[in-house]
Amino acid sequence: MKTHVFTMLTLVITGMFAASAAAAGDDEAAESLVFPESYKAGSVSNGGTITGTVTFEGEAPAMKKLEITKNPEVCGVTDKFDESVVVGEGNGLKNTIIYLMDISSGAGFPKGAKVKHQIDQKGCQFNPHVNLIPVGKRLTMLNPDKIMHNVHIFSKENPPYNKSQPGSRRKMPVKAVKKAEGPVAVKCDVHGWMKAWIAYIPHPYFAVSDENGQYKLENVPPGTYKLGYWHEACGTNTESPESVTVDAGGAATKDFTLSLKN
Amino acid sequence: MNRLFAKKSFIIHIASFLLLPAIITCPLFAQGKSAPAASEAGNLLYIDKCGHCHGIEGAGDGDAAENLLPRPRDFTSGLYKIRSTESGNLPTDQDLFEVISNGMPGSSMPAWKGLLSEDERWSLVAQIKTYFDGFEEASRRVIDLSGKIPYSEESVAKGKTFYAELGCVECHGVLGRGDGTSAPDLTDESGFRSWPANMEHSWNFRGGSATEEIFKRFIGGIAGSPMPAFVSSFRLGLTDAESARIIALEDQDEMTEEEEAEYTQLEEKAYEYEDIMLRIEEGEEITHEEQNKLDEAMKPIFEKSWHLANYVKSLGREGRPPAAVGDKVLRSQYFVGDLPGLNDAAWSEIKEASYFPLVGQVVIEPRQFNPSIDSVTAKSYYNDNEAAFLFEWDDRTKTLPQADDETGETVEDAIAIQFPVKVPKSPSDPKPYFIWGGRRPVYLWHWKVSEPNKITEMNAKGIDKATVQASQSQMQVEGVYEDGRYRLWVKRALKTDDRNDLKFEPETFIPIAFSAWDGANGDVKTKRAISTWYSFVLDPVPSNKRFVYPPVVALISAGLLFGLRKSVRNREKLNQ
Repeated sequence: MKTHVFTMLTLVITGMFAASAAAAGDDEAAESLVFPESYKAGSVSNGGTITGTVTFEGEAPAMKKLEITKNPEVCGVTDKFDESVVVGEGNGLKNTIIYLMDISSGAGFPKGAKVKHQIDQKGCQFNPHVNLIPVGKRLTMLNPDKIMHNVHIFSKENPPYNKSQPGSRRKMPVKAVKKAEGPVAVKCDVHGWMKAWIAYIPHPYFAVSDENGQYKLENVPPGTYKLGYWHEACGTNTESPESVTVDAGGAATKDFTLSLKN
Repeated sequence: MNRLFAKKSFIIHIASFLLLPAIITCPLFAQGKSAPAASEAGNLLYIDKCGHCHGIEGAGDGDAAENLLPRPRDFTSGLYKIRSTESGNLPTDQDLFEVISNGMPGSSMPAWKGLLSEDERWSLVAQIKTYFDGFEEASRRVIDLSGKIPYSEESVAKGKTFYAELGCVECHGVLGRGDGTSAPDLTDESGFRSWPANMEHSWNFRGGSATEEIFKRFIGGIAGSPMPAFVSSFRLGLTDAESARIIALEDQDEMTEEEEAEYTQLEEKAYEYEDIMLRIEEGEEITHEEQNKLDEAMKPIFEKSWHLANYVKSLGREGRPPAAVGDKVLRSQYFVGDLPGLNDAAWSEIKEASYFPLVGQVVIEPRQFNPSIDSVTAKSYYNDNEAAFLFEWDDRTKTLPQADDETGETVEDAIAIQFPVKVPKSPSDPKPYFIWGGRRPVYLWHWKVSEPNKITEMNAKGIDKATVQASQSQMQVEGVYEDGRYRLWVKRALKTDDRNDLKFEPETFIPIAFSAWDGANGDVKTKRAISTWYSFVLDPVPSNKRFVYPPVVALISAGLLFGLRKSVRNREKLNQ
């Protein structure tokens, strides 16, 4: 019977040009960051800073209110909005990754108990929306909602990851990865609207712009670098990165103005 | 005594020394046969047999791919659903071999066992592995099945509580019919629609419905799909009481210093074990002591998981039911008095509903290559004036009229029950074309979820040539949706005044067929699931003669016996 159906299908399909079935959803491959081939971590003396503001060009699109189709008693307590474009004061664009594309040696990642890599899922929304997780560091998923979530990380370079986090697990550690990658999507399939991003980074010269669009890269060894950006809805400048020169102990400034990619 | 002991211990030492490599490798790493090296012959065979769907370079993009759901595997992604290995691991060679050999039920992947030799299938395994570099690097850890708990009522009952607690219901629904509240929005990692399994239709489980397979999917997840690995659902190394305590502490708004200390201690205890597991996932080496410690901590977790697997097993039927032909044909039973309504217990007296398999309508554009409704079942009663039917079919979503995301067409859940206008005199006489007739017209009962208590009578001379009858018969109709299943009750007079209606007469085999639309699957108009012709028959009216013949027969027999007795006696007298 099964073979029969299969043969029939093949015949029909090859016989005529049939309309496309369900098109892929909105998960088209996001553009990636650029990582150095190798990176040597050491101590940096006389490092400088790079600061700046990321601005959204033109009128900011209204944030779409998310439809809460499940667990409204927990997820629907406050309104939730699509965070793909978050614009603040003076059109400052939040959640843009600004980073050095071609640095091959510099500082290591800050150490100590204070440094916590965690994503909260309170109220069925990931917070932060864009996350920088160092290669080799574990991440903790928080679940104060007391309802089931699943942590589904759409890794391509690293092994796939999709684990359930039932309401009884308020905290769940997520394994560290070996390869720099991303940003990759993080989703909760139980609550289909929940979406965030993780970039697995090999060096500390990455920053995410805040609600005013401001970013800061610190302790940068003196030199000239390619300065890249990544934004979920505005794309990347991988093809034509900015050039920035940092003097010893100096402060460089670089602002960005982004618009929605076509 | 001492010597004996020493000798014994010596033997044990030797034995463990010999067994050591086996102990180390067996539970941790890939079991089963390994694939040979990739060959040109394997490549050619792959292109010939697999390329049409999976693409000639393994990217899941063959000519047929775009019309299939689930989509053919993209071998370059390294995401494999059916694995005997732990979450995040690639499948073993044996896993790949099994899938090629047995196919994937409920999908378009056929079983190649009877079509290709064992060597040929192994050459395909080797070929498939060339599409993803990861196969060269990673060792694969196999899920430990040694603690299997046998199937029992007790185990099933325990599993049922975990089913609810762990959130299986979110996608698979309360009764496991794949109708959970998260079901409508699920997509796989490529953005294609992904339906949670209907546990009752266990013959569609892609990796087979053995309890071990269910256990593996639960522990290891189904990579690339929304189904997560549940191995992390419980806290490792804590007793149930300690787990409950840690949750209670977390739920408190504030903790005293003592409670804070207690919490930290519990958390650290759990993390000791968690850390071993994470290090394994991260590809680190662990010591034997650590492995033993983890194994010990996993025991209660595996135990619970086996209970859950037994529960899921209990939901499935033993194989796909046979279609309603031969002795399984739909028989309407004679019922004395008023016919039973939708929720009447009388329906459960018919033990086995007749089963009508459905397939996608792929003859006329637009087609449905991936139907989500795979069957309709029916029961029927009739009396001297009317016939009543109970039709049931599983649908993971209740879809009231809405605009389809893709086509913009208004879709909704519906069903049509089809009969010929004119019943063929004998089974060999031609019937109307099975998809809504042609030259010979069909008579249709069309029901849709937006009007659950109404059936529209139609006649059709082709799939797009249906007309609503000018005069509608008096029919009683009740349709409900509950736990992933539609139940539709219909009652109609045996005979109506309309000559375009079908007349139901006892002992006549009447052709019957079905069309079903799942709005959430984009079904509308010709895009739907359909069946071929089946038949149903009203059982003969039980004759009153059954009350007459038996006493008559009894009387005659008694008379004959008396006669015999008399004649024997007479003979005896004569002989004396």
